[in-house]
Amino acid sequence: MVRLGWYLALRSGREALTRFILTTLAVAIGVAMLLVVLSDFHAFQTTVSRPWWEGTQGTPVSQMPGPSNAELWNYSEDFFKGQTIERLDVAALGPDAPVMPGIPQLPGPGQYYASPALAALLSTVPSDELGARFPGSQVGIIGNQALSGPDELAIIIGYTPQQLAALPGTVQVDTINTSPESYGTTNIYRFAFAIGAIVILFPILILIGTASRLAATRREERYAALRLVGATPGQVNIIASVDTVASALLGAMLGIGIFALVQPAVADVAITGARFFPKDVTPTLWGYIAVFIGVPVAAAGASVLSLQRVRISPLGVSRKVTPPAPKMSSIIPLLIGIPLFIVAILFTKSNNSGFVALVALLGFVLAMIGLIVGGPWLTMQLGRLLVRFTGGASSLLAARRLTDNPQAAFRAISGLVLAVLLGTGAAVFVPSLVSAQQTPNNALSNVLRDQFAGGPSAAVGLNPQTGAQLINQLQAYPGVTVLPIYHNPAEAPTQQVPQQVIPGGPPASLTSVVSCESLAQFPVLGQCPPGAQAVIVDTMILLTIDDPLWINKELPIVTQDSPSYSGNVSDLYLGGVLVRADNPDTLEKVRTLLTTYGALSGSHLAPETFGEIGQIRATAYLEAERIAFFVVALTLVVAGCSLAVTVVGSLVERKRPFTLLRLSGTPTSALNKVVLLESVLPLVAAALVAAGMGYALTAVAIKALSASSGFSVPVAAPGLAYYLTMVGGLAISLIVIILTLPLLGSTTKPENARFE
Amino acid sequence: MKDNGYILEARELTKSFGLTPALRGASLEIRQGEILAIMGPSGSGKSTLLHCLAGIFKPDSGEVWYDGQRLDQLDETKRTELRRTAFGFVFQFGQLVPELSAADNVALPLLLNRVGRKEAYEKAVSWLKRLGLDGLEARRTGELSGGEAQRVALARALVTHPRVLFADEPTGSLDSLSGEKVMDLLVDGAREEGTTVVLVTHDPRVAAYADREVMVRDGKTSTQPKTEVAQ
Repeated sequence: MVRLGWYLALRSGREALTRFILTTLAVAIGVAMLLVVLSDFHAFQTTVSRPWWEGTQGTPVSQMPGPSNAELWNYSEDFFKGQTIERLDVAALGPDAPVMPGIPQLPGPGQYYASPALAALLSTVPSDELGARFPGSQVGIIGNQALSGPDELAIIIGYTPQQLAALPGTVQVDTINTSPESYGTTNIYRFAFAIGAIVILFPILILIGTASRLAATRREERYAALRLVGATPGQVNIIASVDTVASALLGAMLGIGIFALVQPAVADVAITGARFFPKDVTPTLWGYIAVFIGVPVAAAGASVLSLQRVRISPLGVSRKVTPPAPKMSSIIPLLIGIPLFIVAILFTKSNNSGFVALVALLGFVLAMIGLIVGGPWLTMQLGRLLVRFTGGASSLLAARRLTDNPQAAFRAISGLVLAVLLGTGAAVFVPSLVSAQQTPNNALSNVLRDQFAGGPSAAVGLNPQTGAQLINQLQAYPGVTVLPIYHNPAEAPTQQVPQQVIPGGPPASLTSVVSCESLAQFPVLGQCPPGAQAVIVDTMILLTIDDPLWINKELPIVTQDSPSYSGNVSDLYLGGVLVRADNPDTLEKVRTLLTTYGALSGSHLAPETFGEIGQIRATAYLEAERIAFFVVALTLVVAGCSLAVTVVGSLVERKRPFTLLRLSGTPTSALNKVVLLESVLPLVAAALVAAGMGYALTAVAIKALSASSGFSVPVAAPGLAYYLTMVGGLAISLIVIILTLPLLGSTTKPENARFE
Repeated sequence: MKDNGYILEARELTKSFGLTPALRGASLEIRQGEILAIMGPSGSGKSTLLHCLAGIFKPDSGEVWYDGQRLDQLDETKRTELRRTAFGFVFQFGQLVPELSAADNVALPLLLNRVGRKEAYEKAVSWLKRLGLDGLEARRTGELSGGEAQRVALARALVTHPRVLFADEPTGSLDSLSGEKVMDLLVDGAREEGTTVVLVTHDPRVAAYADREVMVRDGKTSTQPKTEVAQ
């Protein structure tokens, strides 16, 4: 029976062979996309699951010399032209000191290991912009085991224990962390990536399922003929499965081949903003096995399932159940979900409780489910509108097809609806958050902030002499503007300078003094009251908080009500500085200089610009957005492929009436238009509805949350990348559909009018 | 060719499919308003002859003239336009678009000819009524009997007032009673409209409706004495 099935699949004439090839190709495309998703997911999982040595915890430095199986450890982050540098200063206390992955041994005093990307930078960038920050000479390269990607900037610098013990923030470490990164955001990304993978898998599986059932009606006619000559229903099932499994198996093999060809290109795409190591961008062995076995099995299941819906008797094929027209009640979840979400979100203005958030989430989920469940009904309405408002023969044919079986038309694009809705949400939410990460008019984007308070050697900053020396050096750079921020040592005992800033937590205060003359160079910070030479201000948030939302909320820090300071500011300790340098190279030179003073003061916080502070958060948000766009683009293309397969199936099924229409003088262009309308219309309509809903729901959410928190988060329009993704994805889908049109021309040639 | 009173004329047509010859020098002439039956056994080439006369096939050799112009020398676009505007077709089965209602199917060729929607449906409904399908306008193909579906197809073929109606075994899938009804309507409709009919059939009872008969055997035509309708 299996041999007969195989014979029928390949030797039943041109039409059967064409169908077999098309099914194989569609499955191959689906499998290749599936492997792309699995490989990126695997690369992401591998990256976040690597031993997170940066998260190593230590204990306060004990009496020197310490135990021989330990080391001194000082981990910090530095910046270079918007990129983060992971910096580890380390000193072995003995020969048994633990070594982090990626290097053969700890660097000795005056030595360092750099990541490949940083080593490349160090060899090309002038030393006073970058290299001077890192004492010693390079002795090796940090291996991939210690890095999350080929573009990561990292450095491990060796010291003597005495040198490192003197640096603030140094701890003693006897065990290096080997567990994976455990930031909350990482788990969120892991969750988001998993959701994204599922959102993509859904339409890909629909594509494979649709391809497996390609031209089911025509096949079913053949099975009826088999029943006529005595085949049992079970034998028909086997024959049908052989046909499908054979094409799915071949498609899976071809898909793996296609993936092997595109894998280098996939590895080069920075989905999360940073590239993964190429060796990680591959599915696991189990992933391959699951695809190779799962796809043909699923295809066979889809084929057998489709046969369950028809009754194949020796006298022909009949539908067991005529698909009922979708009912208006199917959009009830949508009609409940949207108002529920909006009301709950608006209610958060006055009540920020978890219950309200839960109701909002419930409303959002209901709206999404409603869009999927109500999709066929909406598609049917679209068809009816088309009939009502257009008069042409092509639109009549297309519209009647849509209203006749809206489930079939919507099935191919159902995955897209979710992806576009979530993608549009991300496209609105992320730019809104990113724009909120910038100071008003970007006034502080190129301004470095550095604080010298907090360490044991300088509780309130650099002493007046050292402070003056630094200010003079800074002002010597061309194009540099400096705002010194002074602390009064008399107030030192009452100051609590936090070492760790907790975003969202209640801000502490830090009383500082700034001169009005210097302040005038930074108008965004405010204006002194008339007659004042210096004012007392709270610089706590400005100097320490790493959340621009809080910083923006605090601006201006100087108002007409700010108290005057009548003393001489040059007698005060220098607690921190703001330095504007519009030239990027000068900015890096200033940063390098500040780094050396930071070591003197006792502060181990790296100088960073406000632009970089916002950029760090923006990068995280943009990573999520990129993943969302990747999902949207892929689902758009998959939806296009599904539609193309559906179109091919519908053409094969309508071969006779379409051929006779052509024979009767219907131009091919009119039938092409029918096919385009049938496929493109639901695709574009679904994308627009989902995008509109995604935008509206997100905009409402942002406005309400912004109002309830007091943060200024404007609703931003989606960026160019979003439009390019949408238009590009739709264009590719359209091209895929257009590629099926020659099939229409060839299968409906009037010369083929003899059907028997 | 001179105006010799024939609306359609075939001269020495040959046509092969691969190595299999279908027509081997077939010729015939049809006058305006005439109903001609092409008869012959299965595989004799009668449908191929009809397809050549209708401009669906280009013969390998020979000439096809329609209304003073060489049909076989027209390009596909012009032949398509001619089939849409001047010819009508009725086949054995499966010619209706399943998703469309009876009225939609009949209005379809008018809409393709850019006739206004309202006018197209008025004409469609009028033809359905004329062919005894009153009240079935909204029914789809699957909801019609075989005879009803053939009458819808006939209405669709006649609604554009074609000069020539090509009918290929129009009653082939019907019982005798339904077949007779369809043929009565086809002939009456054609007579009223002055439409020329080329009727391919192997059934002498159907051929009896024609004014004249041509027999096709082994790809060649020969005249045939008129079959009388059995009473």
